[in-house]
Amino acid sequence: MTRHGSGNGRLRPSAASSPWGAQAPPSARGPSRRSLLRAGLAGAGATMLGGGLAGCGTPLSAGLAGSELSPGTLSFWNLFGGGDGARLTTMLEQYEAETEGANSLQAATFAWGNPYYTKVSLATLGDKPPDVAVAHLTRAKNLARAGLLTEITDDMLAMVDLRAEDFNQKVWEEQKTDGKDWVIPLDTHPYVMYYNRAVCEPAGLLDSDGLLVPIEGMEAWEAALAAAKEVTGEYAMSTPNINETSTPWRWFYSLYAQQGGAPFLSEGGTELTFDEGLVESTLAYIQSISERELMPRAADYGGAAQHMFSGRSAFYLQGVWEITTAQSIEGLDFGMTPIPTIYDQPANQADSHTFILPAMDRSEEQMLRAMGFIKSMLDQGLTWAEGGHVLSYLPTLNSPEVQALEPQSGYASAADNAVYDDPAWYSGSGSNFEVIVGAQIGIVMQGIASPTEAISNIRSQLGNYANTADPL
Amino acid sequence: MASETVDTPRRRTGNGVSGAAPPALTNKPKAKEGSGAFNIIAGVFVGFFALLWLVPSFWAIKTSLTPNPTAALGAEAILRDTNPTLESYMTLFRAGDIWNWYLASAITSVVTVVLTVLFASMAAYPLSRLQFRGRRIVFLLMILGIMVPGQVLIIPIFQQLGAVGLLNTYWAVIFPQVPAVIAVFVFKQFFDGLPKELEEAARIDGAGFWRIYWSIIMPLSKPIVAAMAVLTFVGVWNNLLLPLFVLSNPELMTIPVGLATVQGSYGQRVADIQASAILGCLPLVVLFIFFQRRIIEGVAGTGTKG
Amino acid sequence: MSAPPAQPIAPADARTASPHQRTTTLFHHDKPAWLFLAPFAIFYVLFLIWPTIFMIISSFFNSSLVSSGLGSFAGLANYREMLTKDEFWSAMWHTLQFTLYTVPPLVILAFVFAILVNRMKRGQGLFRVVFFVPFILPSATISLIWLYIFTPANGLLALVQTWLGFDAPRPVLGTPSLAMIGIALATIWWTIGFNFILYLAALQDVPRETYEAASVDGASPWQQIRYITIPLLSRTTTLVVVLQIIASLKIFDQVYLMTSGGPGTSTQVALGLITNTAFTDFRVGAASAASVLLFIVIMVIAALRQLTERSERTA
Repeated sequence: MTRHGSGNGRLRPSAASSPWGAQAPPSARGPSRRSLLRAGLAGAGATMLGGGLAGCGTPLSAGLAGSELSPGTLSFWNLFGGGDGARLTTMLEQYEAETEGANSLQAATFAWGNPYYTKVSLATLGDKPPDVAVAHLTRAKNLARAGLLTEITDDMLAMVDLRAEDFNQKVWEEQKTDGKDWVIPLDTHPYVMYYNRAVCEPAGLLDSDGLLVPIEGMEAWEAALAAAKEVTGEYAMSTPNINETSTPWRWFYSLYAQQGGAPFLSEGGTELTFDEGLVESTLAYIQSISERELMPRAADYGGAAQHMFSGRSAFYLQGVWEITTAQSIEGLDFGMTPIPTIYDQPANQADSHTFILPAMDRSEEQMLRAMGFIKSMLDQGLTWAEGGHVLSYLPTLNSPEVQALEPQSGYASAADNAVYDDPAWYSGSGSNFEVIVGAQIGIVMQGIASPTEAISNIRSQLGNYANTADPL
Repeated sequence: MASETVDTPRRRTGNGVSGAAPPALTNKPKAKEGSGAFNIIAGVFVGFFALLWLVPSFWAIKTSLTPNPTAALGAEAILRDTNPTLESYMTLFRAGDIWNWYLASAITSVVTVVLTVLFASMAAYPLSRLQFRGRRIVFLLMILGIMVPGQVLIIPIFQQLGAVGLLNTYWAVIFPQVPAVIAVFVFKQFFDGLPKELEEAARIDGAGFWRIYWSIIMPLSKPIVAAMAVLTFVGVWNNLLLPLFVLSNPELMTIPVGLATVQGSYGQRVADIQASAILGCLPLVVLFIFFQRRIIEGVAGTGTKG
Repeated sequence: MSAPPAQPIAPADARTASPHQRTTTLFHHDKPAWLFLAPFAIFYVLFLIWPTIFMIISSFFNSSLVSSGLGSFAGLANYREMLTKDEFWSAMWHTLQFTLYTVPPLVILAFVFAILVNRMKRGQGLFRVVFFVPFILPSATISLIWLYIFTPANGLLALVQTWLGFDAPRPVLGTPSLAMIGIALATIWWTIGFNFILYLAALQDVPRETYEAASVDGASPWQQIRYITIPLLSRTTTLVVVLQIIASLKIFDQVYLMTSGGPGTSTQVALGLITNTAFTDFRVGAASAASVLLFIVIMVIAALRQLTERSERTA
């Protein structure tokens, strides 16, 4: 390669003593005003071209000119992977069939947890949110407070023949923020107990129908654990605590709430108001279960499930969504029931999936389309219920098909005894709150930390958040 | 001009990337330096590592050519599979997302390249050729600019773009990447090495600076323009952090963001995931095949300065 | 070089000429110069200077992503929070850990490869391609490739480990103590090509005669490398080390893609913490404070590099 590039060492234009020859430019002083204008127009033209010629609504026009993406299509974001995701796909296909449009729906699935909520929030802040999205009830409250949601009014519900009374009232009340409605509930997914019938039968824990005899009170619970351990020779129950923070939290909080414990957080999370003595005793009890080898000291998500699936433990405590996995295990005969009321009152930790309408300017048509989509999803509740979720939309919940589902019927009452995480800008499903507290509970369960240590860690770590100004 | 034959090693003039082609980077014949055994051991050693280095790419390719159910079974199953299939690629092409991502990446990369190369070379010209007030300050700012870690500015940049309504447009990805100070330096180094006679002759004839820049300097700068263009293209194509937060809509995402965020819906389709990873970098590999020399020279050059 | 032009355009030495003389012999071209600089300058100000200023200002307020304006004044509270927060220090530590895990191999291996490849008569080009191609791949591609290699129980690595006799190989990315190593491994594979090329170019600058002379004097290849190559390449090594360190401090992609900072927070790095605080927790003020701190660290190292380069140049 020669020094002057272009392959041949000669300059353009060719070989005159001065490169200018007869080509002296009219304005030697830099780009003329005319050429600048031309350039500017070209640039503006390109942008408009992007918007016009490329077709409104295409990514090209949206990307270049910020125009609306795919007008006439409903965009829907969710975080359902795995079994839930497959179920959702069925429901979405049904919607597409109903609306008879080739491009009536644009659905996108994102990774569960913070990445999903971050995407939804940022999209709303950037004025290009999806038409409809899924949100956990606890997270939706924060989105509402941040001004990222569109309020759900009675008129909007009426557009598709819905009324507030059509929904599980516990959930409906729970979702209100500042007295207004911000979501349309889809389901409640509580923390429940799966039981292996092959173990429970010889342990004498089943009734004549093969269902678990309701366990009430500490004595009965301890007796059941003991009986189960005798049969398995290993463990009585299992629930994960390795690489898991949400599950330990759910286990602990269910027990704490059963004892009528004071709210964990108050005043929007600025105050830590948990009953310390109660927390300590509950943690001590939980720790004693693993100490007495009634549950594995350390188990991860899959491992804890496997324990029950293979009969090494009788009870598996987890969210309802594992039902699909359990049903796929060959030869496993199992049932499901709410977390036993070991203490004073029935309670189990839960959250709900809801539909939200991110804040944006909607035309009448867009609003109708969004509501229509939600209605279609609600009407397909049977498919969703098969995934273990307890429906919030009463007409579908009370339908004979849903009522007949087994083993779902075993824990239907769990939705009414659901306790949700206390509201705070840093709490909710998959939030920092659950990560912090759940991590401490997890190490208590593993016997690595004492209840007192855990409490002091919780205090200091949560304290950071409690003392931080609310960003919402 | 020194008669730089292939045998004479290129002297480092402190200019970094000079106009001279570094002939040394081609296969320069080297005489044996004495120890044949050493060379053999060396060859085996580095050859082993080279093979090792090829493993991840080949593994990804092999997996992408395996049917999803087999791939889900694990590495052994994939190794045993002898029926390569393009199923995963077909699925991806049909699903359509990847086309949108290609579009987004192509547009953002090309436009950024054009703007960066143009503006950086324009900025480099006066720094190389002209005396003007404030020159020292500009230099200082340039040096500062090289030191500033652009990624750490993601938050204020996001807010700025939001304030002017540019979020979720390609411009949100393009604009923040245009001020690539290193490009200015590279161009300046290069311009410094160009002979001044032509320009002086043109000045005498009354040519304006723009004319000189556009009709003399730039044509002479083809090699460096090519190098910078390709390197900038690769850099923009591969940028994850910026588009991750300024582009939320799956239809507008660039390739890296698309690969990163929508994997939720691929689930266990391992072969599809690997295929998407490969599709995402295919244009770059093609680019590399055609511009290998320029890219490598550019890297070697920017390294010495930047 | 050709003969210098003999015309009045010969620039006088600006330093010795009097100002008056300077203006007549040197052309001050303010307006055209600034016109040329303008487009770049606009972007520079808009996307480098202004964001930096804005970031510094926000760090003193409780700015939130979802509310407009700067929010309430927080003084040094954000800085105090970050500097006393476990999460912040562990993020900084993980960033440092990543740097420590990657810089030595990336420098030493690249150097060794370059030396060995440089000695080859044929096939240098092939090695260049093999080691360098990963470098042009997007972080998303390499992360997906390596995530997949690291799949617990039945990924490629697990398979190789069982071949080598490990009974129950621990999941690399799922074990807190191993996760960062996994990320480092992927990074080394990905970016070694860059350093390799730099070293190769520098090696090919060393005149053959030097080696030949040493060889004639009886120096073995090892000795040649030790006493000729390494010292002559010290400048490149410094460059490579500093570039690597600065790049490592800015790490985000691989961690986000391969572990999201997990398991738990055992691989969370500085930029990951910053983006989480800003975009997930919406706390822009606090995130800005952390950004400023990271910014300072990087600038200090970069400044050190500029200074050493300057002194090396004048030396």
